[in-house]
Amino acid sequence: MLRRTAPFLRHFLLERNSSAGHSSCSREAKMSRPVQARRLEGIDKNIWVEFVKLATTYSKVNLGQGFPDFPAPDFLTEALMRVVSGGSHMLHQYTRAFGHPPLVKALAQLFEKLLGRDLDPMTNVMVTVGAYQALFCCFQALVDEGDEVIIIEPFFDCYEPMVKMAGGTPVFVPLRPNPPKDGKLMSSADWQLDPTELASKFSERTKAIVLNSPNNPLGKVFSREELGLIAELCVKHDVLCISDEVYEWLVYDGKQHIRIASLQGMWDRTVIVGSAGKTFSATGWKVGWVVGPDRLLQHLRTVHQNSVYHCATIAQEAVAQGFQRELTLYGKPESYFVQLPKELQRKRDWLIQSLNAVGMKPIIPEGTYFLVADISPFKSDVPDVPNSDEPYDYRFVKWMVKNKGLAAIPLSAFYSEAHKNNYTNFIRFCFAKEDTTLKAANDILQKWKQEKTSS
Amino acid sequence: MPFRHKNTRRIEGLDSNVWVEFTKVAADPSIVNLGQGLPDISPPSYVKEELAKVAAVDRLNQYTRGFGHPSLVKALSQVYERTCGRKIDPLTDILVTVGAYGSLFSTIQGLIEEGDEVIIIEPFYDCYEPMVKMAGAKPVFIPLRCKNDGISASSADWVLDPAELANKFNSKTKAIILNTPHNPTGKVFTREELQVIADLCIKHDTLCISDEVYEWLVYKGNKHIKIATLPGMWERTITIGSAGKTYSVTGWKLGWSIGPEHLIKHLQVVHQNTLYTCPTPLQEALAQAFWIDYKRMDNPDCYFHSLSRELESKRDRMAQLLKGAGLKPVIPDGGYFMIVDVSTLNVDLSGVDEKQPYDYKFVKWMIASKKLSAIPLSPFCGPETKKQFEKYIRFCFIKKDSTLDAAEVILKNWNKQTG
Repeated sequence: MLRRTAPFLRHFLLERNSSAGHSSCSREAKMSRPVQARRLEGIDKNIWVEFVKLATTYSKVNLGQGFPDFPAPDFLTEALMRVVSGGSHMLHQYTRAFGHPPLVKALAQLFEKLLGRDLDPMTNVMVTVGAYQALFCCFQALVDEGDEVIIIEPFFDCYEPMVKMAGGTPVFVPLRPNPPKDGKLMSSADWQLDPTELASKFSERTKAIVLNSPNNPLGKVFSREELGLIAELCVKHDVLCISDEVYEWLVYDGKQHIRIASLQGMWDRTVIVGSAGKTFSATGWKVGWVVGPDRLLQHLRTVHQNSVYHCATIAQEAVAQGFQRELTLYGKPESYFVQLPKELQRKRDWLIQSLNAVGMKPIIPEGTYFLVADISPFKSDVPDVPNSDEPYDYRFVKWMVKNKGLAAIPLSAFYSEAHKNNYTNFIRFCFAKEDTTLKAANDILQKWKQEKTSS
Repeated sequence: MPFRHKNTRRIEGLDSNVWVEFTKVAADPSIVNLGQGLPDISPPSYVKEELAKVAAVDRLNQYTRGFGHPSLVKALSQVYERTCGRKIDPLTDILVTVGAYGSLFSTIQGLIEEGDEVIIIEPFYDCYEPMVKMAGAKPVFIPLRCKNDGISASSADWVLDPAELANKFNSKTKAIILNTPHNPTGKVFTREELQVIADLCIKHDTLCISDEVYEWLVYKGNKHIKIATLPGMWERTITIGSAGKTYSVTGWKLGWSIGPEHLIKHLQVVHQNTLYTCPTPLQEALAQAFWIDYKRMDNPDCYFHSLSRELESKRDRMAQLLKGAGLKPVIPDGGYFMIVDVSTLNVDLSGVDEKQPYDYKFVKWMIASKKLSAIPLSPFCGPETKKQFEKYIRFCFIKKDSTLDAAEVILKNWNKQTG
């Protein structure tokens, strides 16, 4: 920056800078070498920054970003109130770095039940700032420069930049749609991995595979057979599995969420990622966790203690109380883990009906609170632009939020750069919304359809 | 099939941590804990009330803006416009992070590269070294030296040697980490001292990472000066602050980085790829607390000032008690820690584990035999300086009166008991 400037100019610039009072413009001083670290290369773009801004600016009905617009359950918010008002004031101070004891104990108790094995809350569980930070710890702890990480497309967008930031190489393998022959609506179950194709992605450089089941954005719930296929390859190639199971409770139509860590040979090589935000409809609390063997979690602890160190105590205490309640109600009809998916299934079915009625073809999700719909009949409103640098569905979603006030997310956002144009007729809707919101969305769609048929 | 998976290179050797070790030891409730820096005093009631109010608002339980909740960054920009004397854009010049710890991490990951050198002043808050190493860079240490032949009554006696400091800068130096008020000595860097650092930063085109978490805790006769306000420094400085230290709520884990857009944007990229957003309800409550104190910033009732006054009297009491027990405290000009020379007590620990530094052994002995805990200074030093500081231990005095009363009993009885 100032290095290469002539002395008198440098002096002048310093003089200017020293006048107090008018510092409204920050003189952009460029260092003579790049100021940012190389690890940030190629990871500066983020779809949410853009789409959240669009939704905030234009949307009347927001089915875009994945968060509920209905309240978190009373028992949870009451727990927070109790903790803040009645709890010891020491709950406003640091707690145990790797997880507040009541919370890791509750998580260990729950996951012992779910996995059918003994768990030590101190070494088999760690609390993180949302599942997002859990994923970050996984990649930083386990992925070195040159390692390959298999990512199944479509994927929650952060996996790719996180792998890159860790110096790893993402290797993509797609879920491929096999539409039913009878013309019925597709289910997320119809999107499948090709076993041969999957096997071909494993090399001696493969460090890990990222599994997300139930899958965002499709809603796919991997079957035991599908998980078995992945597990076999992991064991054969000595590969780790980072299993993002944040939507573990949101499974519909009597389907079962199967944890890959419970399959033969998998516990020792799997890190399970979970989220209080998704479990308890409180995404803003940013409490997540990892569950896994000590020999993997010890490395995640090292990353955690050198990056954020502690998570907020109060949120952890309230979530612990939420889990304690759920443990007593486990399997009972009043359990939130039973009620929430029931409620969301109803909303799912309502949105499916609504989209179907206007000609958008939804893919029925087996899980999560997302569904993806084919918007082909509406393409005439948003003409294609040849050689555009933006995939079609991005343009469609932007047009839709600006002109119809309805926010959604383009499916291409969940694909790698190379594959962004593979599926450009799909957009993702979030249905974890009040009935009034879903109804308002329906009104917009109906009106839109009417405008099309009458024009 | 053998399991080949070990830790990644970036975390090699970074697994041990002084806090993990010492917080476990001091967790015993029979021990008077003056070790880890956490208040046992209550946060101000309005801070707790704001959080209680927020708990009842539905939408505050969902995601907020990734780089910082709008009402919080707005409040921070107002407070810091006053202290920095310049316009601060809440959206581009601020990043909210998980504690100041998270700000240090985002800054180092965002701006420090493999092969860079980063100057760290000893003794240092222990996380600076592993964070710099995790970024693939080399920590270059420079110690504070006691200027009166080792006889130190005040944190002001500990200074950098300007020639020694200048020698540490070279073309590979990417940044210097400054911590003022300083943990563990409590030193408040003077304008002149900051100018020496600033001159070097400008000369060598170096960044400055300024950890100012104790910015409000400055005692009579001292002034906290922000290095970012010195000429030529705003554009190359990241200033880090902490809700935990400002409001005595360390468990809220909210901090912030303030600086020019062209630097903050890189921290934002790190943030969006590490944890994306910080908890909403805590950010909203913090914003409300800041508005309350912003309005009375010129008033002595403002918590930023009242806490400082409260701590000054605790500091003075602590110092008196330690002197009474024959220990030599270094009176801090700021912060809530005090370092103490324990060599005068001549406690012979040569029989104990040879490999550990004296201060580690002393603290463990003190915990076991006196039921009083502190933190050894060696973890705050680079390898070459550990010997220089191993006669010092650190006490934390942001403690309620009953805790200090209990410490008083122990210290008064110190000499009555044999080792």
